[in-house]
This record gives sequence, C-alpha cells and structure tokens, in this order.
Amino acid sequence: MKRFHYLFKDRLALLSVFIITSTLAAGVFAPWIAPNDPEEVHMELRFASASWEYLLGNDHLGRCVLSRLIYGIRPSVLWVLVTLAISLGIGTIIGFISGYFKGKIDALLMRVCDIALSFPGYVMTLAIIGVLGVGLENILLAFVLMKWAWFARIIRTSVMQYSNAEYIKFSKALGVGSFRIMWKHIVPVSLPDIAVTSSSAFSSMILQLSGFSFLGLGVQAPQAEWGMMLNEARQVMFSRPELMLAPGITTIIFVSAVNFFTDALQVALDPKLMSVTKKKQGKGIYQAANLHGKA
Amino acid sequence: MGGYILKRSLLAIPLLLTISFITFVLNALSPMDPAEVVLHAQGVPRITDELLAETRRALGMEQPFLIRYFDWLLSCLQLDFGNSYVTGKPVWSLLGPAFLNTLQLTIISVVAVIALSIGLGMISALTEGKNLDKSIRGVAFVLTSMPPYLLAALLVWYFSVKLDWLPTNGMDSIQSYILPVSVITINYAGIYFRIVRSAMLANLNEDYVLFGRACGLPEGRIKIRLLRNSLQVAISVFCMAIPIILGSTVVIENLFAWPGLGMLSVKSILSRDFPIIQAYVLVLAAAFVVVNTFSDIINALINPKLREDM
Amino acid sequence: MFKKRFIPFTLSLAIVLLAGCSSISSNNSITNKEANTVPSKELVYATAKDINDMNPHLYPGSMPAQGIVYESLVENTVDGIKPLLAESWEISEDGKVYTFRLRKNVTFHDGAPFNAEAVKKNIDAVQKNATKHAWIKLSSKLAETKVIDEHTVQLVLSEPYYPTLLELSMTRPYVFISPNDFINGQTKDGVNGFNGTGPYKLIEHKTDQYAAFEANEHYWNGVPRVNKITAKVLPAGETTFLALQKGEVDFVFTDDRGADSIDVEAMNMLADTGEFQLIRSEPMNTKMIVANSSRLESPAADKAVREAIWYSIDRETISRELFNGTEAPAETLFSSNVNYANVDLKKRAYDAETAMRLLDEAGWTLQAGDEIRKKDNRELIMSLYYDASSSSQKAEAEMLQNALKKIGFQLNLFGEESTSIASRRSTGEYDLLFNQTWGLAYDPQSTIASFTSEAAYYHTTSGIPQADELYKKIDEVMVSSDEETRKSLYKDILTIVHDEAVFIPITNGSVTVVAPTALKGISFKQTQFELPFEQMYFQ
Repeated sequence: MKRFHYLFKDRLALLSVFIITSTLAAGVFAPWIAPNDPEEVHMELRFASASWEYLLGNDHLGRCVLSRLIYGIRPSVLWVLVTLAISLGIGTIIGFISGYFKGKIDALLMRVCDIALSFPGYVMTLAIIGVLGVGLENILLAFVLMKWAWFARIIRTSVMQYSNAEYIKFSKALGVGSFRIMWKHIVPVSLPDIAVTSSSAFSSMILQLSGFSFLGLGVQAPQAEWGMMLNEARQVMFSRPELMLAPGITTIIFVSAVNFFTDALQVALDPKLMSVTKKKQGKGIYQAANLHGKA
Repeated sequence: MGGYILKRSLLAIPLLLTISFITFVLNALSPMDPAEVVLHAQGVPRITDELLAETRRALGMEQPFLIRYFDWLLSCLQLDFGNSYVTGKPVWSLLGPAFLNTLQLTIISVVAVIALSIGLGMISALTEGKNLDKSIRGVAFVLTSMPPYLLAALLVWYFSVKLDWLPTNGMDSIQSYILPVSVITINYAGIYFRIVRSAMLANLNEDYVLFGRACGLPEGRIKIRLLRNSLQVAISVFCMAIPIILGSTVVIENLFAWPGLGMLSVKSILSRDFPIIQAYVLVLAAAFVVVNTFSDIINALINPKLREDM
Repeated sequence: MFKKRFIPFTLSLAIVLLAGCSSISSNNSITNKEANTVPSKELVYATAKDINDMNPHLYPGSMPAQGIVYESLVENTVDGIKPLLAESWEISEDGKVYTFRLRKNVTFHDGAPFNAEAVKKNIDAVQKNATKHAWIKLSSKLAETKVIDEHTVQLVLSEPYYPTLLELSMTRPYVFISPNDFINGQTKDGVNGFNGTGPYKLIEHKTDQYAAFEANEHYWNGVPRVNKITAKVLPAGETTFLALQKGEVDFVFTDDRGADSIDVEAMNMLADTGEFQLIRSEPMNTKMIVANSSRLESPAADKAVREAIWYSIDRETISRELFNGTEAPAETLFSSNVNYANVDLKKRAYDAETAMRLLDEAGWTLQAGDEIRKKDNRELIMSLYYDASSSSQKAEAEMLQNALKKIGFQLNLFGEESTSIASRRSTGEYDLLFNQTWGLAYDPQSTIASFTSEAAYYHTTSGIPQADELYKKIDEVMVSSDEETRKSLYKDILTIVHDEAVFIPITNGSVTVVAPTALKGISFKQTQFELPFEQMYFQ
C-alpha cells in the first residue's frame, strides 16, 4: 500500500511502531527474554533495589519486577490484541454482510448492533464480571461482546460508501460473485478505516483492562499484569514509591505509542488531513471510532 | 420535526425492552440459586430441601420464565428491584442516592471537558502547525495515555497532601469535587479536544470564512462566527460524552471514595450481591438509551441534514 | 516538518514523566504540616465498610460501632467477668438460675428507663430469632427470663451452662436497645431507632459515607471526654494513609474482620512524624487458613493435603518480612495463654520435604512430565479465598501459592469482600479460606462451640473421621461444671482438630491503633471487635 509510505517518513510514527513491535515480541518470547521466573517468591529480597540479577529490583514478595513486567505484556497487551482481533473479525463479517447486502439483513443486524451498543462499555464489563466472576477471561469476553458492534457499524458505513462506486456496480453487472467482489474490491479499500478504528480501540482497551485489574476485578494472583502491578505498588505507594514507576511508565509509553501510531496512520491514510481541507466524509468515522474507543 | 422526535422516541422503547430482557437473562445465568442466596442472607443456619422449595415458591420461581420476566419488569418500573442479599435493604434505597452522586460528578465533569476541549481545540486550530498547537496536542496525547488511577494518585499526593489545598476523598464540600472532576476532565478532554480541533479546521476552510477574509472583514467577527458554528459541534460532543462518562467513573469513584454507582457496583461484585448488580446494569443501560435518544433529537434539531437518515 | 513535530511531543512526555518521577521520589518526606495545637475533642476514624444496620440483635452491623452504642449486663475483662449494666449477680446452686441486680438510674438514649422489663423484652426478642443465634449456645439453653422487681431480673436455663456470663458479655446479641425502638414488640425484622445505653449515641448516618456518634450526656459512668466520634468510610490502603496525613481522619484501627487498613511500614512512617502514636494490643487472636474437610470432591477432605499445606507455610518469614515482627508465628489454633489451651501439641514447622513425603504417602504423586500431582486421576488443585481489602492476606496467599507450586500443588486465589467469605464459610462453598479466631473473650469456648454451628465452622470440622466424638465432647464441655473435666475435654478437642489439621494457623494477630499523639487513655478490651473509646481523652 503506497500510502503507508507516509507513515514511514514520520519518525515519531516509526518510533511508535518500533515500541509496539518490540513490546509485542517481548511478550511472545517472554520465557526467553525474562531474566527470572516472574512468580518465584524470594522473601529475603522483599523490596530489594535494582541489582544485576534483578535489573528493576524486587516487589513485595521479592519477585523480579522486570520479569513480571515482561510477562505482564501477555495479559496486558497480547490478550487484548487477540480480543481485538476476534471482535474485529466478527465486526468485519457482520459489517460487510450488512453493508453489502443492505435491505432486511442490514436492518436486522443493525438493530442487534444497537442493542449491543446501548450497554455502556464499563457497565457491560461489570455486569459480566458480576455474573461470571472476577477474572481476565471474563473481562476479555465482555470486550468482545462490546466492541464487535462498533466495528460492524463503522465497517458497514465504509462498505456502503464504496459499494456504490461505479466499478463495483460494473462488476455486479458482469455477474461476478458477491464474495469475490467483497474480497477483491471492497476489502482493500476499507482496510484503512478498519486499521484506524482498531488501533484506537486497542489503546483504550489496554487502559480499561488495567483499570479493572487495578480494582482487583481482572487478573488473579500470581499472574503478572501491569494494572495489577500498579495496584500492588499502590499499597506501599508512600514507603516504596519506586515500585509505581516501572509499570506506570511502561503503560504510559506503550499507550502513547499506540495513540501516536493511530494518529500517524490516520494522517498517512488520508494525507489531506495534514493541511486545511474540506471535511472529508470518512473523517466522521474516525471521530466516532475515537470517541467510542473510550466508551 | 415533531414526527422525527416521535419516531426517534418510539424507537427507544423496543430497545429498552430488549435491554431489560438481556439483563434478566444475565441474572438467570448466574451460578447461584436465588432461593439459597436469600436464605443465607437471612442467616438461616440450616437449609433444608423443604425450606428451599418454600422459598422458591415465595420468590415465584416455579412460574414460567416469561411470566417471571414480566413480573420482574413491572416491579422494576416501580423502582422495586428487590432487596440486597447482603444488607437486606431495598436495592433502590442504595442505588438511587448513588446514582445521583454519580450523575453530579458526571455532569460537572462533562461541562469541564467541554469547556477545556473547546478552548484548547480553538487555540490549537487557530495556531495550526505552530509550536503551540503541537505542544497542546503532545500534552493531550500523553495525558490521555495515562491510566486514570495513576494520574489521580499523583494529583492527590500533590494537591491534597503536599499543598494541603483539597480533600483527598469523599463528597463533603465543593472542594471535594475538584480532584475527581480534574482527573476525568484531563482524561477525556484529550479525546474531545481533537474532535473540536478537526471540526474547527474544517470550518476554517468553509466558504464563509474565505469569503469574509476576501472581503476584508475583521478577523474578530469571523472568529465569532466560527465559534458559533463550533458550538454545534460542542453540543453534539456534550451529548455523546454524558453517557460515556456516566458509565466509566468506576475507577475514579473507587479511588476518591466517591459514594456513587461505581463504588457500589464494585462492592456488590466482590460480595456477589446480584440484585444490586442487576439493577445497576439495568438503570445505567436505560439511562444510556435515554440520553442517547435525547442527544440524537438535539443533534437533529441543530443539524437538519441528519434527519434525512431516518 | 516531521522532526519538528517530534520535539514538542518528546518534550511534553519528558515533562509529564519528570513531574511524575520527581513528585513520587520526593514524597518520602511526609507533609510537614503543623501539628494541631488546639486539642480537638473529636475523633474521626477510617473504616473500610459502612457501619451498616446498627440493630444489635442482628449481625450485619459494624461491631466497634455497636460496641459504643450498646452495652451488655456484664463485661469481660483481663480480671474476669465484671459488672456493667448489672451491678451484681448470683448463680443458683444447680447452675441453672442467674439473678441479676441491675444498675439504677440508667436510661436509654431516648430517655426510656433501663429496667428489668426492658431486659426481659430485649432477651425475649433475641430468643424469638433463635435460629440466627445458634452459634451462641446460651440461646439454646435459655428457658425463661423473669422480672423479679424493677431492678432485678432472673435468667432460667434448661441445664447448667458454664460460659453463660461470657456469652452475656459479648458485643451481640445480648445487649439492650430501647423497647420504644421495637417493631411489633420484635427486633428481628428491623428497629425504629438505635437507642442503646452506651457512652455514645448515633446522631447521623450517611450510608457509605460516614456515621457520627455524640457523647451521651447522661451516661451512667460519666460523660465521655471525646465529644464526638465519626466513622468515615474509606477504601483501605493509600487513600486512608493520605487522609491520615491530611488530617481528614485521625484514628485508624484493625477492623473487626482483622484487616489493617494501612501496611506496617506506612504506620511506622506516621509514627516517625511525631504526630501519631502507634499502639498495639497483646496478641488477641490467631489468623489462620480454614480447610473444608467436608467437601468430598475437594482435596481439602484429605488430611495429608491439609497437613502438607500446614508444612508449606513459612510462618517465620511471614512474621519477619510481612509484619516486621509485629505478629508472632502461630503454631496452634490457640496460643498457650488462652484459657485451657496450654496443651502439648505437635509443632509442624515449615518443611517442604515433609509436605512432599505426606502427599506421596497419601497417593498424591507426581508423574514424570506432569506439573501437578494426581491421585486417582484427580489433580491436586484447590481454591483459597481471601479478603480483597487485606493486603497481608493476599501476600500470604501468594507466598503459599508459590511454595505449593514447587511441590506440584496448584492453589488458585480469589479475592472477595468479607461478607462473601463469611457466606462461603457457612455454605461450605470453599476449599480453603482465611479466617481468624474470635479473640480472647471468645476463645476458646465460643470459637469451639462454633465448630458445630453451620453458620461458622461446621463444614470445616464435619468431614473429619472423629467428628461425632468431637461434637459430643464439645457439648459435654459446655455443660460441665468441673474444672478438671473441662480441662481434659478441651485438651481432647484441641488435639483432635490439631491432628486433623483443619485449622491451619499462621500468625497471632493483635489490634493496632494509629492515633494522634495527644490522645491518651487508649486501651483495649478482651475482644478485637471493640475499642473503649469512652476512656480516651485529649491532653
């Protein structure tokens, strides 16, 4: 895709991509990268400061903070990414069906979306935790239930926009199969919208998950997770403030990187945004995505 | 126009019904037998099968599912959500005041969010590309990337403890609103600020601005005109922001010991107090639908183009 | 152009981070706020939970709050049972009739007189709801309450019961609320007001925010010198700590569920400022993990598994590292200073080897390639529930989890509200949970009596092979009037539960108070559930 060239000319975006990919890689290869077992308790090293063996020091149970940070990428980032992929998958399929076939199917699917969207994000998540119990998997399930409808809505709009294009009508007239048209012509053009939407949802999901873990509703002990690490550090915030730093700064940097990447992506995919131009139709969509990323 | 309002309002009714049904089903999915829970809440030491059966009858649980649903729905409409399993008090007597407290926090925060995002959005749009614009955007970016609880902890430590200006928690005075509202504002203004900014940028290039400039109208008058048009954006942002912020004060409330819905819901989850959880979900989802309906109507009033979609 | 865009961002990021870092790292120094020079006559204490329903004949209410509003006939002190609302009493020869002479000129907060009639009404109201009070054996032995004259009342038991006075001294249910507050002559379905006879009266209550208590001007034992006490609801941890530093609350103590709201180091930091004092009671109870021996589908029903857990807890390290030595390791259910508990029991010190050997012998073996031990194709996996507002329980749980993991034993942890833990205890929906004995006033008799109560430890004890024998001995010891027989029965009971390892002790807990330095007269009762606020004063 030519337009991604813009992305790579932007150093900030490049840095963001670097941060994001290296974090993801660190999460995937955690067992090889982490210097220690993240769950190994060493009470004699309780609150020990940084050493060569434990580069970021030890927590209240003497566990290696760096290793916990690295293993924490898995629930904090990787699982969120998987959840995002699942909800994106569902949303894309439904969005395409809805936008392409229109009519009754569209009306029905959009009503279902309306219902899913009428539960505010936090509330739905709390409801599911309330019924199924505290835990990471229930929060992720709630995320899927919440987010697919947003993706479906946004993708439907962009599909509708493109499916009215002349060349699509032409293909239809030629008798090309629906799925072939979708795959060949519509998927590539709506990809930018999908990319921007999901990238902005990604950062807000990470923050939300860490919020729930912080409240003690997410990941359960002893698994390491950034929000949970912050929660544990909070107990000793005034006697051992340094424990807040590692998970806190990591979260800020990673989420900032994702946000900047989203922004750069948006600009790259729609170069006109860089200068003062007439409002493009597609932009409303990005705004909606940004808004509801937070919901 | 009246037709639109009616149509839009009527649309909300099936939505509300579906929501209530889902909430009811959600509770039915919970792994605990309500009769057993009620008996435990009453502190009955020995639960026999007869007692269980009797309680089930008393709770109307041998009725068909749909009948139970309608009974439940009817009592919910009268704000009777049953009694808390833990304290035995009527759910509404706990939920009602909490709802008001959260609503207050939300409305004040939304006003602050709007003020800040419009102010910054305008400055940023008018200085587009200059360092001021870039700095505002940079700071906004980082602040929105900050987990709210981290931000809250820093603010409390600095303003309450170090400077001794503001209370650390609670809802006792005007001052106690400042910190929670600030955290929410900082977190959300970053997002809405960007919307205002792009809307302003789009407006700046509208024909009337170019025309005005070409005719040599004073910049001040053009800006007033601009502001008026941007207010429209502000109102729709405002409408969108209320329900979103209303549902997401959970973390903030727990940090500031704010006696609202967020604190109540987390407490109920950790003590498995299902009637409260159920009522919480229902009330907030219903509020969400109602606010959304209003905001759609308001938006349509301001921007007649939107009505065509219906 | 791209480079330029980069600069403001990095700058702003740096500013925010620096601000964050510098503020965090410099906050080691606690606010140098001037100490209050004018001694205030008010105390504001932090509590993690609302005071809830103050009805003294039911159980949801906060015990420290009920303790200052209501009083019992007698009081349990270090020197034994002392008069409180009863000035004196006599026990009949056969141990079945207790005659109390009531203190005169005592009134309830609403002005109603405290007399024999009021005592009868209250005790009858409690008895009407007997199923709820099954844990307190007196409720099943109390046959009749008779009014002899205005200031004399008689309790008639169906059989002699030696802990009668002890149970009458408890925070609830045998305490007195004005008969004017009764609804239909009862208290079991709620009350109209909360008028006790105690040193403080409840004047304002905002659910989940605060409750205010005012000194009782007509208190029979002199007006308390602290005029007003406010219980402010605050989440435990740093919120409470900040509020203390800021002066929004000035008093913190170990709550009735045993959770300290701030950690040991934070308390020491406060004490170091000179504005606060740190006072600790004598060891008062035993913090422990309770195993559900009656849950047959769980490995908790297996004695070897329970013993293995016992051997896997490193009490010395917990005491030294988590509590900075403020809580001593506990090796038995009751420490030896508890009445009747000076019994010679086998010590099970931290020893992973023994734990592994026990599991192997019991058939929980580790197959090659497996991470978890199995017996008859069942994996050795258990759940442990802890109080989500207690950071020490969570840390202990994680230590145990790690120790057990090394011997092929998986422990899943769940943090819940204390009410939920209590309901698990009574429903038996648990493998393991954190708990504590009830404190000096209740140990051993009430804690042991509760072994048979479904609301308490029935599920814990009913799965052991000698359960019937155990329950028989418990019934006997409660009615036995011979000291030597009691001693030997208690010895048998404690030996059985110790051998079966159903109560796995961790440390001996005490009540900790953080209070302004100017506050004097801080003392403790024989129970962890109350504090004698009426004796405190500012200097």
